[in-house]
Amino acid sequence: MSTGTPIAPAPSPIDYSPAAQEFRAEVRDWLAANAPDEMRGVQVPREPAPELAAALARWADTLAEAGYMCVAWPREYGGRGLSGVEVAIMNEEFARADVPRLTRGMGEGLVGPAIIAHATEEQKARFLPPIISGEHDYCQGFSEPEAGSDLAGLRTRGVLDGDHLVINGQKVWTSGFFKANMIFTLVRTNPDAAKHRGISYVLVPITVDGEPNGIEFRPITRMTGLAHFSETFFTDTRAPLDNVIGGLDNGWRVAMTTLGSERGGRATTQHLGFMRQFWRLVREVRERGLIDDVRVREQLAWAYSQVEVLRYTGLQLVAELAAGRSGAGLGNGSTTKIRWSEYERRLAEIAMDLLGPDALVVGPGYELDHWQEELLVTRSHTIWGGTAEVQRNIVAERVLGLPKDPAVAPARAAGGER
Amino acid sequence: MSLAVTAEQQELRATVRRWLADSAPMARVRELMATPTAFDPALWRGLAELGVLDLAVPEQYGGAGYGVQELAHVFDECGAALLPGPLLATLGLALPLLLATDDERARARHLPGIADGSTVATVAWLAPGAGWDSAGRSMGVTGGKLSGSASTVLDGMSADLVLAVAGTGDSAVVVAVDPTAPGVTRTAQPTLDQTRPLAQLHFDDVPCTPVGTGAHLLERALDTAGVLLAAEMVGGAQACLDMSVAYAKVRQQFGRPIGSFQAVKHKCAEVLVELEGARAAAAYAAWAAAENPAELPVVAPLAKAVAGEAYFRAAADNVQIHGGIGFTWEHDAHLYFKRAKTSLMLFGDTGAHRRTLADRIGL
Ligand SMILES: Cc1cc2nc3c(=O)[nH]c(=O)nc-3n(C[C@H](O)[C@H](O)[C@H](O)COP(=O)(O)OP(=O)(O)OC[C@H]3O[C@@H](n4cnc5c(N)ncnc54)[C@H](O)[C@@H]3O)c2cc1C
Repeated sequence: MSTGTPIAPAPSPIDYSPAAQEFRAEVRDWLAANAPDEMRGVQVPREPAPELAAALARWADTLAEAGYMCVAWPREYGGRGLSGVEVAIMNEEFARADVPRLTRGMGEGLVGPAIIAHATEEQKARFLPPIISGEHDYCQGFSEPEAGSDLAGLRTRGVLDGDHLVINGQKVWTSGFFKANMIFTLVRTNPDAAKHRGISYVLVPITVDGEPNGIEFRPITRMTGLAHFSETFFTDTRAPLDNVIGGLDNGWRVAMTTLGSERGGRATTQHLGFMRQFWRLVREVRERGLIDDVRVREQLAWAYSQVEVLRYTGLQLVAELAAGRSGAGLGNGSTTKIRWSEYERRLAEIAMDLLGPDALVVGPGYELDHWQEELLVTRSHTIWGGTAEVQRNIVAERVLGLPKDPAVAPARAAGGER
Repeated sequence: MSLAVTAEQQELRATVRRWLADSAPMARVRELMATPTAFDPALWRGLAELGVLDLAVPEQYGGAGYGVQELAHVFDECGAALLPGPLLATLGLALPLLLATDDERARARHLPGIADGSTVATVAWLAPGAGWDSAGRSMGVTGGKLSGSASTVLDGMSADLVLAVAGTGDSAVVVAVDPTAPGVTRTAQPTLDQTRPLAQLHFDDVPCTPVGTGAHLLERALDTAGVLLAAEMVGGAQACLDMSVAYAKVRQQFGRPIGSFQAVKHKCAEVLVELEGARAAAAYAAWAAAENPAELPVVAPLAKAVAGEAYFRAAADNVQIHGGIGFTWEHDAHLYFKRAKTSLMLFGDTGAHRRTLADRIGL
């Protein structure tokens, strides 16, 4: 299987099984043979220039062809059936080779798992392969003007017309609308049912045979100045009933699906980007001659500690998973998200303070430098995918077992991305 | 050995927990608190019989040959129970200090007694009235005799063996002293945290045996002590969170459990997030102490600071969540609060640990 490159001479806090070590060698060998030079050292920017975007797309296709996309999906659906530990290993090896580990975004992380858990075999065959190949690029149409944290309050209607649903209504904050050709959305198909019961989960093509499908995106400019999300209007938009996942009126359960084996995943690599950013700040602080200031040193040491804690929590989780246990009680999506999102916010604030007057000035066309962009963008990380407050409710109620607020029904747990 | 908790370690924890519940319940902790030394020889013998005291002593000195990782589990449980007693002084400070020296004779002489429970040991290094960075400044050795004073000596009244650090930098010497020898005066220092007794020691030309040279020995011992203290603080923080959550579920106001108010539940959630981080840091630090000592100088102050902050928050919020009852002497919340704040400060407060960390990562 592998050429058996010797691995990990330093003491490792994780006992990997022989099979896991073999998998690591396999990924390492594949990367040594296949990672293109143009990808080395690439940190995927939020808005890649066209040339880089094209190179990234080529790399994504290479990964897909070699079976390195949607790797946590079961093999029978075109995935690789990797465990959390194996996904972690794969991420570590990509980081070690210094090439980006690309995914198919929301299609891979949200839509695929929902399809795998709830769709018919025919639907799986129809919708999963185009996610892997990149042919289908999804955006998420969940939030509405009147339904954010309380997502189940959504009003967009889906009305049965023969073997089709006809959709009318408005969504908002649709990230990545500009590159998507599919939208996964929640619509109310039964207005008489209880709030969480009358919702359906539908995969809607944005165009049909090259013709518009009644979906209009009106870009919304974010506080960074870029129009990366939109208002989304459905006007008599048609979707075959075959595109409803999990059956009519069953969409809430489908929307709440997350992939169990995602646990582990980025646990041992998520700190890498933060660590890179930390040393970048150290460099800038040094250049400004501030490194000997006691207050600055304490703040930097705080930041370093937070990043290390992210690393330790990840190692601890993967060590437990590798030992064949569930890692129960070791943190979950919510506590992890609270930890990194609040760290990032604070780091950007500190960095701005340390950089002083220069940090007040932007480039032409409102061009932001790294820390200015961080300062702004990180404000959204405690909003999307369940706000920080909603995450705290989830932690308190589901992990600690505290009683629900009698006036509040279950809020959204998982959601989209930037 | 990996970071994953082994079945053996789980067993160890369960055994210690049972023993604590039987032998040192909170009522017993409170009795001991009220005595000047807060030391119960019977409990110490109990820990010896349990196999806790010899756990991290190498086999050739009569120990079980395990290490900091196992000990950290014990400290975690004892921290949750607020066990008074010279665990930190003996196993957290004196043992690593002896192990840090190359003095084979001193080890052969003292470690078997630590392992079998017959020796309570501690370390004296701080100058009276000075800060955490005053190591060795108030003591000196001339002609094989120790003179000077040290304060803030953990369990100084109950110790059978004192390792004193005299002098600073490369000329610092670590000496072993018998605290019952003529010329030693011990004075108990009443403590804010009554479960953690301290003493001031005065030495007047006291015969002593050198066991090592150089300030780095104490530094290494303090790193190990910080790791174990971090584990102890994680145990304490978990106990506080458990109390908060239990109370928030049953205490009713405005016709509903207070735990249904977000101001209360979000506090609990935040404590959990911090505690999770602290637990990972303490576990990683214990792993590094045992398996990758090169990392210890960085992870020790890091874990100590992270755990200190998590514990303090857990303990402070626990008082707040209990309302008036949480401010009483009768309720246990204040015991944890006092342990939390003073543990956070022990060996240096959060800022001091961060400054150390900044130096050690090369900023
Ligand atoms: C950058 C970005 C990208 C996004 N991308 C997408 C996307 O692609 N597709 C999509 O469908 N959506 C997307 N969203 C929307 C996102 O999911 C919602 O913004 C989010 O769920 C919050 O909803 P809201 O904005 O309506 O705020 P609200 O729900 O109105 O919340 C406002 C404030 O009230 C608080 N609050 C609300 N309910 C509670 C409660 N029960 N307890 C305590 N506090 C509460 C919130 O925490 C928040 O502070 C995106 C958002 C952002 C910022």
